[in-house]
Amino acid sequence: AGVVKAEDYTLPAYVDRRDVPLPEVAFVRELSAQQKALKEKEKAAWSALSTQEKVELYRIKFNETYAEMNKGTNEWKTILGGVLFFLGLTGVILIWQKHFMYGAIPHTFSEEWLSAQTKRMLDMRVNPVEGVSAQWDFDKNEWKK
Amino acid sequence: MANRSQLGFQDASSPIMEELVQFHDHALMVALAICSLVLYLLTIMLTEKLSSSTVDAQEIELVWTILPAIVLIMLALPSLQILYMMDEINEPDLTLKAIGHQWYWSYEYTDFKDLMFDSYMIPTADLPLGHFRLLEVDHRVVVPMESPVRVIVTADDVLHSWAVPSLGVKTDAIPGRLNQTSFVANRPGVFYGQCSEICGANHSFMPIVVESAPLANFESWSSLLSSQ
Repeated sequence: AGVVKAEDYTLPAYVDRRDVPLPEVAFVRELSAQQKALKEKEKAAWSALSTQEKVELYRIKFNETYAEMNKGTNEWKTILGGVLFFLGLTGVILIWQKHFMYGAIPHTFSEEWLSAQTKRMLDMRVNPVEGVSAQWDFDKNEWKK
Repeated sequence: MANRSQLGFQDASSPIMEELVQFHDHALMVALAICSLVLYLLTIMLTEKLSSSTVDAQEIELVWTILPAIVLIMLALPSLQILYMMDEINEPDLTLKAIGHQWYWSYEYTDFKDLMFDSYMIPTADLPLGHFRLLEVDHRVVVPMESPVRVIVTADDVLHSWAVPSLGVKTDAIPGRLNQTSFVANRPGVFYGQCSEICGANHSFMPIVVESAPLANFESWSSLLSSQ
């Protein structure tokens, strides 16, 4: 048995749903004496009802207005905050690792090596179609603009 | 070889690889279209601009069965075309054997001469300036350019895989089995690859380097090496 008392789902029930404009039953079942009097007044001409009375009649029939039903929550802010927090935490962990754990990178990443390596790639015409050798102007000896 | 942080394919150096690159571009566009559609539908559903109380869905069911079938055909046809293209009889001019060992490759060119050699990676500490770390080898696989080459791949001990991405070649090296692949290098150049099947401690340190050169250069290389 669940925690919330729910009625048998085969009985007519009230729902606030965009696609169910006319729920099976009214929201308020047991009317107070004041509400009963209002219901009597409803049987007469509606122009005699004040705005406040019309709203009261609406609230007897329905729980939420469409506007209330459709309004969003602020849940997205919580989710976004959580995501950014964990991204940041991951970043902190990565920075810590780089600083405290990892050793030196190979000597082939030095500026001197990389420029010699790039020159060699161009000399060998590596990827000449759309890759690095296609982006170098061999006549002018400079990168293509 | 790839640039650092390169995401896409290396430039093709064989006709099959050119076809594969084109197919990949096509498949990626299909995937982009589908993902865009899904993202759009997801967005309008989550912002509650789309809801449905449909009980009868014959038309939409028909649409979302026929449309994916068409998409699948659009993917399958070029894919099968390339698959069959790879298996065409191509009368290779040269047959070479690539044998994987732990942890180096050995090559045999036994069509005309008895040429066999081992190909070990050059350790990082011994690299000349500007050479490529973990990719250079002491003896490259030289092949004549613009000639169909057949490669028989096998292994001596454990599983390896002979792969050269820009040629569009990857073939598993299985002990006790001869696998055949072929390629045509359509330009002169040096093409790098790495062992593509986990084979132990130095699996990342047994690269493959194919050098395609004009026939005269290939012949002088093979004479030089086989006379040693």
